[in-house]
Amino acid sequence: MWWKTLSVLLVLYALAVGMFVPLKPGIAYVSPETAKSGDTMRLTIHGYNTFYTRSQASEMRVWLQYDSAKAVLGQDLKVLNDTMIEATFSFPLDLPRPSPSVMLNAILDHPSDGVSLLPSAVEVVRDTASSTASEARAGWTQNPVAQLHIIKDFSFPYRNVIYESIRNTFYHVPMWFALMFLFAASVVYSVMFLLGKKLDYDRRASALAEAGLLFGIMGLMTGMLWANYTWGAPWSNDIKQLMTAVVLLIYLAYFILRRSFDEPEKGARLSAVYNIFAFASLIPLLYIVPRMFASLHPGSTGNPAFGSQDLDNTMRLVFYPAILGFTGIGFWLAELRTRAKRVEDRMIGLD
Amino acid sequence: MLLTLLHKEFLLEFRQRYALSGIVLYVFSMVFVVYIASIKVNAQVWNVLFWLIVLFASINAVVKSFVQESGSRQLYYYQIADPSMLLLAKIIYNTLLLLTLSGLSFGAYSLVAGNPVKDMPLFCLTVALGSVGFSIAFTFIASIAAKANNSATLMAILSFPVILPILLTLIRLSQIALRLLQDTSYKRDIINLLAIDAILLTLTFVLFPFIWKD
Repeated sequence: MWWKTLSVLLVLYALAVGMFVPLKPGIAYVSPETAKSGDTMRLTIHGYNTFYTRSQASEMRVWLQYDSAKAVLGQDLKVLNDTMIEATFSFPLDLPRPSPSVMLNAILDHPSDGVSLLPSAVEVVRDTASSTASEARAGWTQNPVAQLHIIKDFSFPYRNVIYESIRNTFYHVPMWFALMFLFAASVVYSVMFLLGKKLDYDRRASALAEAGLLFGIMGLMTGMLWANYTWGAPWSNDIKQLMTAVVLLIYLAYFILRRSFDEPEKGARLSAVYNIFAFASLIPLLYIVPRMFASLHPGSTGNPAFGSQDLDNTMRLVFYPAILGFTGIGFWLAELRTRAKRVEDRMIGLD
Repeated sequence: MLLTLLHKEFLLEFRQRYALSGIVLYVFSMVFVVYIASIKVNAQVWNVLFWLIVLFASINAVVKSFVQESGSRQLYYYQIADPSMLLLAKIIYNTLLLLTLSGLSFGAYSLVAGNPVKDMPLFCLTVALGSVGFSIAFTFIASIAAKANNSATLMAILSFPVILPILLTLIRLSQIALRLLQDTSYKRDIINLLAIDAILLTLTFVLFPFIWKD
């Protein structure tokens, strides 16, 4: 019984902390977004969740960075309000690389907010009249990014494109973990039924599959919410979405199969066989097929896998409890369904 | 034993020729529908329609595997022969049947809709691998569906999700054979396909003994 209470507490914790902990300060965008080599111009940095006014302008520094050694330091910083800073940048006459243009990352160092970064914030285009002499490139290496204020506090990373929707990591991803655990448990009970022929094993197998299906539907829903925000549409026929829909179809077919027999033992036996067969075909569906097609989903072709890159230690503190909590609730649901099925079967005189 | 069982399957087919002729006619009707429905088919559409024809013809050809003989006669077979041998005989027979069907579909289809295949050996290999995969999956599902009340509907519902990984790989391979897709690493797809076939085949042998016992 303790694990049911624990699961509820973990889910409540994941909901509360996942929703209320703020994001780290970040840079939303820099305007204007393009410049020419050799230009000296005033740029405005627009922050997100920032409190620029809490420090003196002299204590803050802004860079437009090319790589760890090459950057341009902003001069004459002026704090306009909590989310806007102006700075003047003098771009050297030549670009750090012999190409028509380079993308620079904006890095802002603030004593109380800490460091915020926006990748590819400004594009610097090569001026046709610019010089290619080595001294024309010297300006890049004079003020490399250094001496940053690293603030350690309890907040979630700020990421472009996903912004606040990063919180969905605590709900969307654990749904799939719970689904895999539930379906695996369902297959274990199907195997036990084939070996032991106890009708209770079959009830458990089907109840676990029902709970798994519920989590599959919720995972698909949370995924569609996220896709609507980051990919631009809730359903874009992405291979990952299609395969998920097929997984749900497999289990819907399993429930139809359960209902199409007159004798309960025969139905239980054949659906147990189909459950095992379907689970085995799930593995190529989820792990082989999506790799053959282009996908927007993380972990697919050309995208970084879901791993250390996407999860910092603060997120781990919410993410792992969320997995445990949702899985626990899934097993609790399955247990309730098993008991309901047992009562139903006894009422019609089975078992 | 296997050969005797295989011989029995062929004999059964030969005696009730309406089954095979029915399926052949089914294929020709589908091809004809494609012909009257579309004036000109480009290679992309050709590929999709071809696999749709083969898929539905295969489902219809395999579904009768376990329903054409009465339950008591099947019980008799299981008593005198090893059930897994019986299943293997049916899988081999169905593979040959599906190969014939796919060949016929391809012939009839390219007659009415043209033949855009550029890499014939790869295409033939794809069709052969497809027949093996379809045969394993459909024979097994047919043995489950045959025990249920509405076996024809159930056959389509149960086999569609299971067959999808195979079907997607096949469509991709034949896209390469039609030069719709440039991919030099298609050997990996073939290995994937063989791996899926191997997984399904192992599972059918492990699970079949639980199906036939009533």
